Amino acid sequence: MRYLIKNGSIIDPARRVATVGNVLIENGKVSRVMDLADLSTAQEPLGKDLEVINARGAVIAPGFIDLHTHLREPGEEHKETIATGTAAAARGGFTTVCAMPNTRPPHDRVAVVRQVLETARAEGSVRVEPIGAITLGRAGKNLTEMAELVEAGCIAFSDDGSPVSDPAVMRNALAYAAMLGVPIMSHCEDLTLSRGWAMHEGAISTRLGLPGYPAAAEEVQIARDIALAEMTGAHIHICHVSTAGGVALVRAAKERGVRVTAEATPHHLTLTDRWVLGSLGEPVAPREPPAPPTRGKRKRKHEPELGLPAWLVPTRLPPYDTSTRVSPPLRSDEDVDALIEGLRDGTIDAIATDHAPHSHVDKECEYGLAAPGISGLETALGLVLTLVHRGEMDLVNLIAKLTEGPASVISRTPATLRPGSNADIVVFDPDYSWVVDRQKFVSKGLNTPVHGQRLKGQVMLTMTRGKIAFRRGNFGVSTGMLQQLSKLPGILNDEGES
Amino acid sequence: MSTTLASSPNSTVATQPQANYRRHVLDLDDFSRDEIGEILETTASMKEVLNRPIKQVPALRGKTVVNMFFEDSTRTRISFELAARALSANVVTMSARGSSVEKGESLLDTMRTLQALGADIIVMRHRESGAPYLVAQHFLGSVLNAGDGRHAHPTQALLDLFTIQERLGRIEGLKVVIVGDIVHSRVARSNLWGLTTMGAHVTLCAPTTLLGPAAFWTATWPKVTITTDLDECVRDADVIMTLRLQKERQESGLLPSLREYSRFFGVNAARVACAAPHCLVMHPGPMNEGVEITPDVATSAQSVIETQVTNGVAVRMALLYRLAEH
Repeated sequence: MRYLIKNGSIIDPARRVATVGNVLIENGKVSRVMDLADLSTAQEPLGKDLEVINARGAVIAPGFIDLHTHLREPGEEHKETIATGTAAAARGGFTTVCAMPNTRPPHDRVAVVRQVLETARAEGSVRVEPIGAITLGRAGKNLTEMAELVEAGCIAFSDDGSPVSDPAVMRNALAYAAMLGVPIMSHCEDLTLSRGWAMHEGAISTRLGLPGYPAAAEEVQIARDIALAEMTGAHIHICHVSTAGGVALVRAAKERGVRVTAEATPHHLTLTDRWVLGSLGEPVAPREPPAPPTRGKRKRKHEPELGLPAWLVPTRLPPYDTSTRVSPPLRSDEDVDALIEGLRDGTIDAIATDHAPHSHVDKECEYGLAAPGISGLETALGLVLTLVHRGEMDLVNLIAKLTEGPASVISRTPATLRPGSNADIVVFDPDYSWVVDRQKFVSKGLNTPVHGQRLKGQVMLTMTRGKIAFRRGNFGVSTGMLQQLSKLPGILNDEGES
Repeated sequence: MSTTLASSPNSTVATQPQANYRRHVLDLDDFSRDEIGEILETTASMKEVLNRPIKQVPALRGKTVVNMFFEDSTRTRISFELAARALSANVVTMSARGSSVEKGESLLDTMRTLQALGADIIVMRHRESGAPYLVAQHFLGSVLNAGDGRHAHPTQALLDLFTIQERLGRIEGLKVVIVGDIVHSRVARSNLWGLTTMGAHVTLCAPTTLLGPAAFWTATWPKVTITTDLDECVRDADVIMTLRLQKERQESGLLPSLREYSRFFGVNAARVACAAPHCLVMHPGPMNEGVEITPDVATSAQSVIETQVTNGVAVRMALLYRLAEH
């Protein structure tokens, strides 16, 4: 099957391209990219096996890469499987997900990694890149057989969730990974400073009487890991930076020339510890996005405005809602501002979801006992686009943080629409207004604090290696075609707009 | 009762206060000055009941009150039991040590079982902050918080307010010093809400390891004074409220020694002498005599510690009565 995605805004940060045009996909590869200048001269491709997808008003970009995904398989299939997790990824516009090793058993031996890759090939909707464990059993003591794991396909190493506390072990891991040319992805948390934590330490934890996770617990570990990376010459990647101090440490290290990269999550970029306070908080004036420019006469498909207060309203949650419990915790307003600044100035290389699905049982309990984590793949784009709609980030730079940025961290998958590259493509409508309904998630993890919130921006189509991995409703089908198809019963199965 | 509550518009929202209508008592943060005043008046009537030869009225006859205690507490549990009995309610107490997770049954499963058994009011003590909010979102009856983690202990704060008003005739304008393990104290937090709503000037005093940054407190309670100097802040105080210091605080490294704590933060006769002559000395109990308070002060004429315990029953009767009214 060949596809022609027509009339979209093509944004390809790796090639510094942003233009309106068409993308032709043949044999699983991008075969031609035609901008407006091309269109006037070149003949449009035709053929019976060619499907034309009308992407007018939408953005065509390289498929997103998630550096930080918990797929839970093997071992915790009640929370997520490779099949459901990658389906959720496709729905979120991701064509590659890097699978964190904290499965049961963990990715600490070749057999497990092979099994993950085989399952991903057989059942996965998108590409899965496994991350190996740094230490056996993620216990922080003996290094895994990292060389063999790289041979088996691991693109990085991490003991995410169980940070390597012993600095000597971390030093050896970094030195060994440097030899193999892969990064160490570090979940930076000093476990003695964060012991017993339930949420970010600050005025709100004080009011709610919840044990705090101070910002310094992250910062001291980032400082340590940067020092060790500097000493060993290794590439350290700082996972889910959540504090202003962490951003400053990474920025200073980059200026010194340390091989450090960093990621931030959509929830840390947009939500704060005020979400734990929920309805006990002062009603906040919703930060409305500026009105979208009216373009053309075509009526856009939006969900009806229900008269709800829009734009991420924390007071809609009850207090102590466990969907807000995540590691690292949602931080203060100042931290969020620093993260956005870090994203803008290049200190933060990538947006990563830290998609952490959990079952109902793990979350329907006392706040401090709830499993930390947010199911993030299906809301990632909508959340980070709030930064664009508020004017805090430009769209091209934002897409770079979802494509070129993460690709450069794992120096593996090219993320571009250059002709000849794999057709890993996302088409999204940045102005599509929708309300998050976790019951419609395809991920098994329904744990999200933004259930019921209105977001702007939604994925319409995701293509991996030239195959459609996800398509929203009948996106891109021309009206004439629709009329013909609608006469055939059962063909049009509109799954509804989530 | 549960059927009428189930059909109420408030049945899924635990925390929204409504005029003349309160389904749960979870903290004092949503109580107005008038409402606290009303409760203190009802408490006075209840105290009168407790002084009768037959200490019982039929106000809660036919209602079932379940004490759901996930944390050991003899005093509060007995106080609630006596309060419910004095109102002629059916009372049962369920004690479960440890968290619901360790026990294998979830908190909500436990609640649903009690609901199916006919509980109208759940009185709940739990070691995790916020646990009563979870139960209140799902329980069709009323939840009365008997202490959750470090977060809130509204009945303790109300009995403290009642005791102060009873002894000093007013609360507004009084200088109240709360001294001790502030950061871990639900009593301090609920008293902050109650006292500031009633117009008292509150000072928090503790070593920095048991207090945290001042800004963390003033963000929520802007008028509160924060200090580490007990000698300075007890001067002219109308009330000194001292908190229990758990011995684990020293073991976990928050204090060098109990001896040093007692010297700089213990309430003793010399410090009480600097306060106003009518100054009340209060303690929520149980006391560590010789640590946060000296034995002579605890039994002195200015101590109202036993009165607090007596008033606790009356305050809890007042709250049970108000919840059952609806």
